[in-house]
Amino acid sequence: MDTVVVLKQFITEVIGEEFVEEMDIDMNSSFTRDLEMDSIEIVSFSEKIKAHYGDQIDFTGWLSNMDLDQLINLNLGMIVEYIDNARN
Amino acid sequence: MGKFVFIVPPLTGHINPTLSIGAVLLQRGHQVGWISLDSSLEQRLPEGGKLLLIAYEENDLQKQESEKYLDIITKKIVYGIDSIKFLYEEVLIPLNRHSYEGILGLLDAYQPDLVITDHQMFAGAIAAVNKNMPYVTSVTAPAAIKVMDELPKVHEWEVKQIVALQKELGVEGETSIACSDLLTMVLTSREFFGEMDLPEQYQFTGPVISERIVVSDFDWARLEGFGTQPKLLVSIGTTFDHEHKKSFFTKVVEAFGNQPLTVVVVSDPSLFEQWPDNFMVQHSVPQLELLPHLDAVVCHGGHNTVCETLANGLPMVVVPIAYDQSHVAGRVVRVGAGLRLNFNRFKANHLKEAVHEILNNISFRNASERIRHSFADAGGTRTAADLLAGLTAGKAAPAIGEVGILNH
Repeated sequence: MDTVVVLKQFITEVIGEEFVEEMDIDMNSSFTRDLEMDSIEIVSFSEKIKAHYGDQIDFTGWLSNMDLDQLINLNLGMIVEYIDNARN
Repeated sequence: MGKFVFIVPPLTGHINPTLSIGAVLLQRGHQVGWISLDSSLEQRLPEGGKLLLIAYEENDLQKQESEKYLDIITKKIVYGIDSIKFLYEEVLIPLNRHSYEGILGLLDAYQPDLVITDHQMFAGAIAAVNKNMPYVTSVTAPAAIKVMDELPKVHEWEVKQIVALQKELGVEGETSIACSDLLTMVLTSREFFGEMDLPEQYQFTGPVISERIVVSDFDWARLEGFGTQPKLLVSIGTTFDHEHKKSFFTKVVEAFGNQPLTVVVVSDPSLFEQWPDNFMVQHSVPQLELLPHLDAVVCHGGHNTVCETLANGLPMVVVPIAYDQSHVAGRVVRVGAGLRLNFNRFKANHLKEAVHEILNNISFRNASERIRHSFADAGGTRTAADLLAGLTAGKAAPAIGEVGILNH
């Protein structure tokens, strides 16, 4: 399945379907400012990624290296790029 | 007899616990002072307590600056991880930098046996170290010291901001001294705080919630008049601005207006021209006296309100806005004492459903009861006062413990 589709599904699970329908989620959508996720929600989103891709990628390692500004600016495109590169 | 001084930031939730602990120390015959930027603290101090005001009188500009810090935290709408950056860069670091010189002078003049500084008033720790005075830290917002395994850089970044200020003010080294090596009192129970390895000088005292002086009136007869329908308290604390409150309470009114519920709201009544008939709206309420009469609480996840709710064994819906509230909400959900909603996204029907759920599913109340017991076991105010007195007991009267002093 396309990475974007998978990730959008996880976003939906974290923030709820009705909100996702109202929002235009694209590659530039930032988790903090656009999707209005707080830290706990970002962590629960990352747990879903971990559970889905397992050992194929070291998502936790990648995320845990992010400093504060990178986390604030983290958007969907960055995660898609990371996952696609890590799996190839 | 010991001489203690608390160093507090101008944040209600961080001040209140020190008032309770200080009151017990004063009752036991110790001297207790409070170092603060806020002159209005004087009227809230327990009897015998002394306000040591951080004041730079010689210069009007500095005085104005001091006033600016009193409500700085309410000046900007912040959310999520962004709020941590705002808290340090625009509130804590400037506040601590501004307070430092004043604290130094007051410590010199007061000569306490023990300094107790808030974990966010690290200028107090820096001043104590530079004056060679022993200091203890009180962690009034315990979620703030919790490190997220998945996002370790957030905590690292916070430490970096503190260390930079330490260096600027003459304390070398790469580790934060905000939490004392001598004693760091974590004002919650281990059960509510959750799993995390902490050094042995971290002691869980339980929340400190007794002995506060009540200043608010309340129309008890009216509350009684609503009969047996469930009673709900809705409060989002003291630090959020008008716009936050307006958007929040609009949804609260939509969810509960004219429902078979009594809703006590803590807010400026003039926020709306009219409130539903089943609402009681007051600028402030005697929360500790009120909670035993209620069935559930809706709040923003401020540590004090959450602890007071749990201490009454009540279930809650937490709607975190910023800072460490997301963690506090996470803990409430984790221990099973309530549900959480997202402040920006929730709608009236979500709130209505969530409150219905916590009122009707007994497991939430049971979980809250379990935490209530863990708080009672931890001891709260008395445990904190004992720990502090224990550190100065040897100095004041060798070989005689606290009880011995009291009996003389």
